[in-house]
Amino acid sequence: MRYSARYLAKRLGFALLTLYLAATADFLLPRLMGGNPAQALASSTGLASPATVAAITKEFGLSNPNWGYQYGLYLWQLVHGNLGISYEYYPSPVSTILLRALPYTVALVLSATVISFAVGWSLGIIGAWRRGAWVDQLGVGVAFWLYAVPYFWLAMMLVFLFAFLLGWFPMGHALPSSITGLTPWQWVAGAVRHGILPVTSLVLTSTAGHLLLMRNNMLTVLADDYMQLARAKGLKPFSLMFRYAARSAMLPSFTGLMLSLGNVVGGAVVTEIVFSYPGIGLATYNAILSHDYPMIQGAFLMLAVAVVAANLLADLIYPLLDPRVTLH
Amino acid sequence: MRLGEAGPEMSPEARLARGGGWRGWLGRKGWAGVVIIACFALMAFFAHEFVPYSPTATFPAWQPPSAVHWLGTDDYGQDIFSQVVYGSRASLVVGGLAGLLSGVIGTAVGLVAGYLRGLWSEVLMRFVDLMLVIPALALMIIIGAFLPSVGQGAQILIIGALSWLWMARSIRSQVMSERERGYVAAARVVGLSDGEIMVREILPNVMPIVIANLVMVITAAILVQASLNFLGIGNPSTVSWGSMLSLAFTDDAILQGAWWWVVPPGLCIALFAYGFVLLGNDVLDRYARKREG
Repeated sequence: MRYSARYLAKRLGFALLTLYLAATADFLLPRLMGGNPAQALASSTGLASPATVAAITKEFGLSNPNWGYQYGLYLWQLVHGNLGISYEYYPSPVSTILLRALPYTVALVLSATVISFAVGWSLGIIGAWRRGAWVDQLGVGVAFWLYAVPYFWLAMMLVFLFAFLLGWFPMGHALPSSITGLTPWQWVAGAVRHGILPVTSLVLTSTAGHLLLMRNNMLTVLADDYMQLARAKGLKPFSLMFRYAARSAMLPSFTGLMLSLGNVVGGAVVTEIVFSYPGIGLATYNAILSHDYPMIQGAFLMLAVAVVAANLLADLIYPLLDPRVTLH
Repeated sequence: MRLGEAGPEMSPEARLARGGGWRGWLGRKGWAGVVIIACFALMAFFAHEFVPYSPTATFPAWQPPSAVHWLGTDDYGQDIFSQVVYGSRASLVVGGLAGLLSGVIGTAVGLVAGYLRGLWSEVLMRFVDLMLVIPALALMIIIGAFLPSVGQGAQILIIGALSWLWMARSIRSQVMSERERGYVAAARVVGLSDGEIMVREILPNVMPIVIANLVMVITAAILVQASLNFLGIGNPSTVSWGSMLSLAFTDDAILQGAWWWVVPPGLCIALFAYGFVLLGNDVLDRYARKREG
């Protein structure tokens, strides 16, 4: 057993505290900004009679004006997976709609993260190894440029070039328009074809950070004494590069990877809109357009849960990579 | 002479830079960044001087670039070149002010949490760690969605209030190593208060880190503002690069093949932000080299 109980408790507590903070912000924001959701809903459904408002007020748990009571009710419902009822798709619960969208976002973020991680780290390792060579200069130069490019614009340009002009990929959506009668293989091929452009746009914009971080860490490691020793022992460059240097440089880069997840999720929200990709981001966008507040709140919470869960997972993997972590 | 600048703490390069005039302040990349930023700043200040048309005047719609309309027109028939030039104002004002606001908060939190040790600074940093995990853009979206209307002032406040977290961490770690140095002990012996030591002794010494972080925060603020405008969280009647792209997207500029509507605003955002990236990296590189000796 490599985990100490203290480490586990600390990380778990941290994750729960983060979630609690996110949930509380989610509760407070609409109340601080004013406005009565029941009235908004009643007028949006065109049934603005006082009786309807009263009924909806009761249904949303707003009949008791005491914030403490509402807060308790809100947390109680959250723990039971109840995110409220959508205005737009009334009376569908928000959680049903978002759970249908979640797999798309997770697939997008996960594949983009794994690929950008692999590409960024390889280029970072090679760049540091051959510092100043053209590979390094090109990599760093492009990385800095990509840092400055807005996600959604890059996505729009990809659509314009590869979908509109060249017609290599579909302009949007996650699956072919008629999925009935497709063999499982065709289904997968269709999903991949639809996923390539959105994933590419996310990879392009998130690789830069991984590359620069890995390169920096490699440069630090390469200057260490034990690298001098390894070189003196006459190790082959390849094993020197990967078995010695890259292995230690990976540890701090791993933390950076997890912390960047929030950014990738933010990018995915915008990317999904450009590609009409039916994930949480598109649901959020539509909710903003139709003032579907419970949906916006639910989407934020779901993104927070996803990022916190991924961070917790990383915290659990980390001791397996670096045995020193569990010591304190 | 202030204590922070006492002899042995100052590297030869810094001394050279002081005597060497403006050339010594930055490297070639840094100056390139400054030139890019200055060009956009001039464009924003003198927009009304050289823009051919009002950004909201209408002409025939969907015109490709021509001698009359250098960058064509959009689906309302508005001149895109004029819009791009005027749009620089929003990026400059919101990006710059939100970045400054973030910079002030980040520097203050970093200084206090790095210099003072104790329960409160610990609590402060744990809070920063918690906030770092929550996706900032998503949080800004829900804040923006619940505000009755989001003007430039609200955008500045929202972006500024949520973009200082990385900066605070970075400055804190630098301040923590700085507080162990001789000049801080000397200042304490002389009897300076904690506040004076933080502001008058440590701050000047970590200034390159502050500037580099500030520049990065401004870069992020420019990009985030564009994203918020793209999402419709902003004032749609203010011309900005983000709102231009938002309109181009919802009105199917891509399907119309109107590249002249999509390419220029995005390139401007990227180039403007790149100017700050160049500047920030140059400052950081010079600081690192100076510290290595």
